[in-house]
Amino acid sequence: MGIWETFTDLVDAAAPWSTAEAEAPAEESKNEKAEESKDEDSSDDAEEEEEDDEEEIVDPKETLEEECKNSKQCSPAKHHFDECVERVTKQEEDGGAKEDCVEEFFHLAHCATQCAAPKLWATLK
Amino acid sequence: MLARSCLRSTRILNTARNGATSFAKRNASTSSSAESPARLNMAAAASTAVAIGSVAWYYHLYGPTAQAMTPAEEGLHPTAYPWVHEQWLKTFDHQALRRGFQVYQEVCAACHSLSRIPYRTLVGTVLTVDEAKELAEQNEYDTEPNDEGEIEKRPGKLSDYIPAPYKNDEAARAANNGALPPDLSLIIKGRHGGCNYIFSLLTGYPEEPPAGAQVQAGLNFNPYFPGTGIAMARVLYDGLVEYEDETPASTSQMAKDVTEFLNWAAEPEMDDRKKMGMKVLAVSAVLTALSIWVKRYKWAPIKSRKTIYDPPKARKTTRL
Repeated sequence: MGIWETFTDLVDAAAPWSTAEAEAPAEESKNEKAEESKDEDSSDDAEEEEEDDEEEIVDPKETLEEECKNSKQCSPAKHHFDECVERVTKQEEDGGAKEDCVEEFFHLAHCATQCAAPKLWATLK
Repeated sequence: MLARSCLRSTRILNTARNGATSFAKRNASTSSSAESPARLNMAAAASTAVAIGSVAWYYHLYGPTAQAMTPAEEGLHPTAYPWVHEQWLKTFDHQALRRGFQVYQEVCAACHSLSRIPYRTLVGTVLTVDEAKELAEQNEYDTEPNDEGEIEKRPGKLSDYIPAPYKNDEAARAANNGALPPDLSLIIKGRHGGCNYIFSLLTGYPEEPPAGAQVQAGLNFNPYFPGTGIAMARVLYDGLVEYEDETPASTSQMAKDVTEFLNWAAEPEMDDRKKMGMKVLAVSAVLTALSIWVKRYKWAPIKSRKTIYDPPKARKTTRL
């Protein structure tokens, strides 16, 4: 892209009569079809590879939030939550829990998501 | 100052308590101004106790705030994510819109309608003309009544709206255990928290509810939903959708894309609005500067002029 395009693009963007039009996917489909017909023999291998890829996908949100939960920033919230879980499970064993850990869970989740948010947006497209 | 006034008031109280019998004695004692230090200390202690007691009573009455709802009923407030398209000078990422529309079609459209979006609005923002036409033709719509008054079916056109998965709300409720899946056309504007809420709701299902939490039968635990019991189960799982641009389809990626798409559905004018806003700001800045300059230009001679009154000199000889 030359320097002249930069100026014309700027003018186009500012001009009230300019229109943006989506480009049609040109000729890709033909090429793909040709490739597909060629690769019919090796389609089984491709499927296996795809399955491997699917297994490899890990949600970055979960890993980042797990890191954040164990970080120093969220240690008070995690401490309270763990203590509450321990207490409530003990109560349940003794017969009937008198409380729940929803509030502690909220505080921990709030801390973890807030800590993970910028890192998550850096990894997502 | 405060302590002194307190002391004085307790002294008055004490004297009042002593009553009229010691009236004469008190008169004598005040005039001599010789109170014992023990009585003074007692008065100070009593007034302090009264002060602390009144503060405690006031705090007991008005101090603790009354919450109408528990945190669980309120729901967890979503974290603010740094959405790019929410910045002042940014547009929607149209590649993300395309991915988000794919997620909507393959996942959400099974239960949720998008009834305010016609195919024509997808042209140029999400799909090309040919793709949108092809998509529209996959569905059948009612025609106008023909000569015999019969309503026939025709393939869809660009001007048709995206069809709903259920005939009406009752059918939707019947199919979903009594819960109505809301229409998604304006969901981003219609929910407190907007994009952040939708993204958090979609990705926020924990593996199991926290200990002690009550989850009704047929509901699922989601901390972001007010009341924490939501009829919609988790739908987005890693690798559920295969993107055409080979973006890894993790849960959060799909949720982000579909949220951005739904934001476009709710605010399709956003890109144009921001562009227009920039133009308005640029033009009005120039006009403001111009008007200030013109004002100063016009007022300069008026503001800088000096009016002098030169009185006529008195003549020595008076005219008759």
